[in-house]
Amino acid sequence: MAAFTAILRKDLRLELRSGQSTIALVALALLVLVVLVFALDPAVARGPETAAGALWVALVFSGMLGATRVLTAESENGCIRGLLLSPADRAGLYAAKLAAAFIFMMVAEAAGVVMMVLFFNLEFDAAMMRVAPVLALGALGFASLATLLAAITSRARASDLMLPLLAVPMYVPALIAGVRASAAALSGAPFSAARDWIGILIAFDVLFVTAGYLLFEHVIAEE
Amino acid sequence: MAAPVVETRGLGKSYGLHPVLRELDFRLLPGRGAAVIGGNGAGKSTLLAILAGLSSPSEGSALIFGADSRRLGPRYRRRIGMLAHRSYLYPNLTARENLEFYAALYGVADAPAAADAWLGRVGLEASADERVGAFSRGMEQRLAAARAMIAEPALLLLDEPFSSLDTDGQSLMAKLLVAALARGATVVATAHAVPEIERAELDLYEIVRGRMLPYKEKEPEEVRRGRLRTLLGR
Amino acid sequence: MARKIVTSLGVLSLILVIAALYMVFEYVPTEADEGIVQRIFYFHVPCAWIAFMAFGLVAVAGIFYLWLGGQIWDDLGHGAAETGMLFCTLMLISGSLWARPMWGTWWTWDSRLTSTFILWLLYGGYLMLRVMIDDSRQVARFAAVIGIVAALDVPVIILSVRLWRTIHPAVLVTRQGGHGLEDPRMVATLLVSLAAITVTFAWLFLVRFAELRMGTRLEALARGIALAEVRTGDI
Repeated sequence: MAAFTAILRKDLRLELRSGQSTIALVALALLVLVVLVFALDPAVARGPETAAGALWVALVFSGMLGATRVLTAESENGCIRGLLLSPADRAGLYAAKLAAAFIFMMVAEAAGVVMMVLFFNLEFDAAMMRVAPVLALGALGFASLATLLAAITSRARASDLMLPLLAVPMYVPALIAGVRASAAALSGAPFSAARDWIGILIAFDVLFVTAGYLLFEHVIAEE
Repeated sequence: MAAPVVETRGLGKSYGLHPVLRELDFRLLPGRGAAVIGGNGAGKSTLLAILAGLSSPSEGSALIFGADSRRLGPRYRRRIGMLAHRSYLYPNLTARENLEFYAALYGVADAPAAADAWLGRVGLEASADERVGAFSRGMEQRLAAARAMIAEPALLLLDEPFSSLDTDGQSLMAKLLVAALARGATVVATAHAVPEIERAELDLYEIVRGRMLPYKEKEPEEVRRGRLRTLLGR
Repeated sequence: MARKIVTSLGVLSLILVIAALYMVFEYVPTEADEGIVQRIFYFHVPCAWIAFMAFGLVAVAGIFYLWLGGQIWDDLGHGAAETGMLFCTLMLISGSLWARPMWGTWWTWDSRLTSTFILWLLYGGYLMLRVMIDDSRQVARFAAVIGIVAALDVPVIILSVRLWRTIHPAVLVTRQGGHGLEDPRMVATLLVSLAAITVTFAWLFLVRFAELRMGTRLEALARGIALAEVRTGDI
């Protein structure tokens, strides 16, 4: 527990000092949304359904960047070895990296929501409150998945291909559920309509946080 | 007799097909110091990585504090300190922040005080609040030494600790080593040549073609040539 | 001994395949609604079952590798993944060949095809990862973790895709595979076909597995030789 707090504080302090990761994630989310605005036919593509889809595309791509950065932050001066040598348990290290990735993603998400409202003709209203927990569940799921995978793919050749190649198919259930639930929230539908989707999101999060927690020690060690 | 702090049994490590270390049987009792001499690529860093639990052996085993090096629990890792080629320091944090982080990680009581004390001991008080990224190589090495020793480890592993240090830095490092041995720590240090350290009794070893043997003084070149000439009747 | 087993499996596979082909083309009656094309069903469905089962094997092998160590578990998982990938591909191709004459499109996003397509991507990711990692001991560990996590994900994928499809029933045509096989001859044909494909899978898997084991043994031998070479220098 102490290790988790120490590592997370260190990562957040580093981020506050340089701001590199959050800026990069926000920028990427914005760029993805811009591309989608121009790529989709404006006659059809305005409104909560498309907005939700676009937002989640942005979430996925910025999430991959976030998870990668959170781990490569330890590659300078061999710091990852310093962490592995220390008494810090691997699960605590995983939790700290997951928490950092999650926080960066939520910041990017907040910016993304603002862009989404502007680009897709929505309103800043109560729907924002309903969408926030859905986005949080999605970000948690992606952060837990991508942190585990990034520890593996950072050791592979073509690592910037391998992470999306593995992460995208695995994330499909959360993506489907998240977009549907977000669209429902943005169109003002009551919570009960999205109940199944939220259930899937929660199940996904539980699955991947647990799997990551148990398996991280196998992927972070060097040989 | 006390149980050895470090014990290897038939230890071997291969990268791919090539055996870097082989048939290593080595014991180090508590409070002893060992210097392991070897050239580049001899396997010195590999050996230390295995002893630290970072790398697992291809054959045989290494026991650290009696526990298998592949499964060192936090209790044992707390008592190991390592100074490697890479500093394990975060360039965007200050010297003080780096030390406080590692002190917290190793469960040192009153991390800020410990950080202060060690900054003084390695002569970096003036640069305590500067980013490590701006440090010279010598300063970084000194801070890394502080990082390795801040938790007063019972086992100290040092990979070529004297390299990239000026004479002042080298005498500082020697002082730190002697102090560690004096308080009862066990030390394994690697080097290219036998380190000149006063007041320190080090067992000398050499890595020869992957095996670790007691160090033998090399004959100076002239003596060898002289013997050859005698043999050939010139 | 092992070679005899593999050879007899190969022979059994051939017999069953011939039997299945006969039943599919001669024995079973033509299905009322879908016509002759429906016969692809007897190939397509067993391929899907095998593809999913093989992925389960990959995951189980991964668990044993992480738990017990031992390269044999990794070779098992590796072999299962390659063979499973083959049958997954065949399932997708047969699905496409079925869809074209039935509904005029080369692909439909019906829930079973979609789930299998994602499974195919997972297989592809697993196999690509094995190629992209250089250190052989790390490959085994990483592949084990990926196999386990992906296999745990599969039920969630199937569930979410199924839910996804139910909200757009009118947009795309849903295929009702295996809908009330009324005629007992159809059931018999399906079972024989399933047996044929399972035995073929087992045969191909064992052949590949034996190859991988041979590779592992050769590597161990090579390491021993390298060690002996270094030792001769000691004299």
